[in-house]
Amino acid sequence: MSSKLLIPLHVSYIQKLGESKDDLAYHLTSHLRLNAIYWGLTALCVMGHQEALDREEMIEFVMSCWDDEAGGFGAHPEHDAHLLSTLSAIQILIMQDALDRVDVPRVVSFILSLQQPSGVFAGDSFGEFDTRFLYCAVSALSLLGRLDELDKEKTVGYIERCRNFDGGFGNVVGAESHSGQAFVCVAALAILDRLDVVDTDTLCWWLSERQLPNGGLNGRPEKLEDVCYSFWVLSALSILNKVEWIDANKLSSFILSAQDLETGGIADRPGDMVDVFHTIFGVAGLSILGYPGLVDLDPVYCMPAAVIEAKGLRKGWKALERRPADS
Amino acid sequence: MHGVKRTRQTADDIAAKKRREQSKIEEYLALTRDVLSRKKASDWSEDAFNLTTKLLQVNPEFYTVWNYRRNILLRGLFPQRTPEDVNNLLSEDLAMTMTALKAHPKVYWIWNHRRWCLENIPNGPGSQEDGDVAGWKKKCWDRELFVVEKMLDADPRNFHAWNYRRYVLAGMPVPRPETSELAYTKRKIEANFSNFSAWHQRSKVLTSLWSSDKLDKAKSREVEFELIRNAMYTDPDDQSVWMYHRWLIGSGDDQMLLEREISVIQELLDEQPDSKWCMESIVHYKLILIRNHSRSVDVGKLTGDCSTLLSQLQRLDPSRRRRYEEIAKNIDVGPR
Ligand SMILES: [Zn+2]
Repeated sequence: MSSKLLIPLHVSYIQKLGESKDDLAYHLTSHLRLNAIYWGLTALCVMGHQEALDREEMIEFVMSCWDDEAGGFGAHPEHDAHLLSTLSAIQILIMQDALDRVDVPRVVSFILSLQQPSGVFAGDSFGEFDTRFLYCAVSALSLLGRLDELDKEKTVGYIERCRNFDGGFGNVVGAESHSGQAFVCVAALAILDRLDVVDTDTLCWWLSERQLPNGGLNGRPEKLEDVCYSFWVLSALSILNKVEWIDANKLSSFILSAQDLETGGIADRPGDMVDVFHTIFGVAGLSILGYPGLVDLDPVYCMPAAVIEAKGLRKGWKALERRPADS
Repeated sequence: MHGVKRTRQTADDIAAKKRREQSKIEEYLALTRDVLSRKKASDWSEDAFNLTTKLLQVNPEFYTVWNYRRNILLRGLFPQRTPEDVNNLLSEDLAMTMTALKAHPKVYWIWNHRRWCLENIPNGPGSQEDGDVAGWKKKCWDRELFVVEKMLDADPRNFHAWNYRRYVLAGMPVPRPETSELAYTKRKIEANFSNFSAWHQRSKVLTSLWSSDKLDKAKSREVEFELIRNAMYTDPDDQSVWMYHRWLIGSGDDQMLLEREISVIQELLDEQPDSKWCMESIVHYKLILIRNHSRSVDVGKLTGDCSTLLSQLQRLDPSRRRRYEEIAKNIDVGPR
């Protein structure tokens, strides 16, 4: 157990992720490769070590995931374009200041082609639909400066129909509220300047009740805590300016207790295997909680706040004030 | 990765594991290369189809391969087959995804493929004239309900399964009466009061039944209050129950109902004097009384009650202290 975030160890953990090609699990997760690079890079940025991964190599890899038939990015070379990986590609290229490599008009038409008559977005041409993909579309269009091409009313209408009596949102109409959907729906509404759709008091009540006695947050009532929910819940709370409604110290300690002190990386909960997904969402949570020495993270886009500010896209979210490093 | 325990391995262990995995990796990568190059060459053959089966059995999250598999069916296999053969092919795919779901009940791509299969079941075996045009469809969709109940028996909170259940219920060629869903959620709730997924589903079904006048709202709401009272007394710390109660109360236009429920909860609080959820709920409902019925209630007394409870809550539930403070501050400012 450590009460400190072991930044150098996590940086080296992320650097080594690309070196595990003799590990079967590495190959079995190729469908998440571009997402994983985005998670790793964002975690490095938040820890102030963006340079720890080679920029040119990363940009080349992203471009090798371009699916020229569909006009979007797949998760890996030769994989089909999908909204999840397309958003990751755009986020990486923006963080690396290399957006000029993208054929923006084609990506925009790929994204827009996936909107359904109901307003939700499908992830790809075969049409699984979900508010996660709606968020990917809204976030990507906004980052590309092309939000004006979106049918906003239709999009907001779908989110509104996913809202439940507990103030939360489901991944489709009729579905149970889930912390992950609180992030995607609230963040999408923030980007669309439509936070009026949120029942703030009820949702923030529901979100604050995600915190369990051990400090960790769960995704739904009567479920177990998990580090990744730190970000989903905190993101929505900070967009709605209610981070104070949970106990920040207890949550920070919970996240820190899920670190692997030997190999680096953060797990879903203490004692479990670490992965890059929980590493970024643990670090992101700590950044929102004002953990000393970290870089500000924009909870709407889950990217460094300075990058979003430079693009003029900052919304009115509020994180906890960054604490000075104690000696 | 979720819920995988960390194990410490020595350098020797790691080296041994890597040696063991070496041939598996080579085999997997060779199969992947084969499938993806066939995909690139628009190979819609049965051979290619069988290779996707093999690959998806190893890695059911390979969404590109699921897409390729559907394209093989659509472009290569379906056009050459009779409707009966198409029906058989899809039934086999449904069986294959069933096996995959048993091992990976939370993989979106598998559920997604299942929906696609279901939606592509052809008309038949009969014709429009003999009235059995939807025979295959009916059989498949009925079976899906059975399948999803099995999945929910294994994990009653699996939201993929609940979503799929709603999808099947909404799409069945012969819809089931919604009242049977009410019975199903009741079974689930009685098996475990903490199953918020079932409470949630129940709220959706009742909303629909009430708005279509298939059920008398006032009467059926009383039945719900009875059910929830049992749950409240069984485990007053279970938040699912309190959330459902809040839904039942609704906007709080009914002053008598609010006052009755407040006194029911007060009784429970008297028995369990440190029940956070009793206090939290009483505050919430009394604030509604102040907001909606200020002319017919004693606002001063209610305000005082709420302030007292809120300061108790701050001590009892310190993690959410700031929320209680904020609510208390807003009462002081005056009712909205
Ligand atoms: Zn997680």
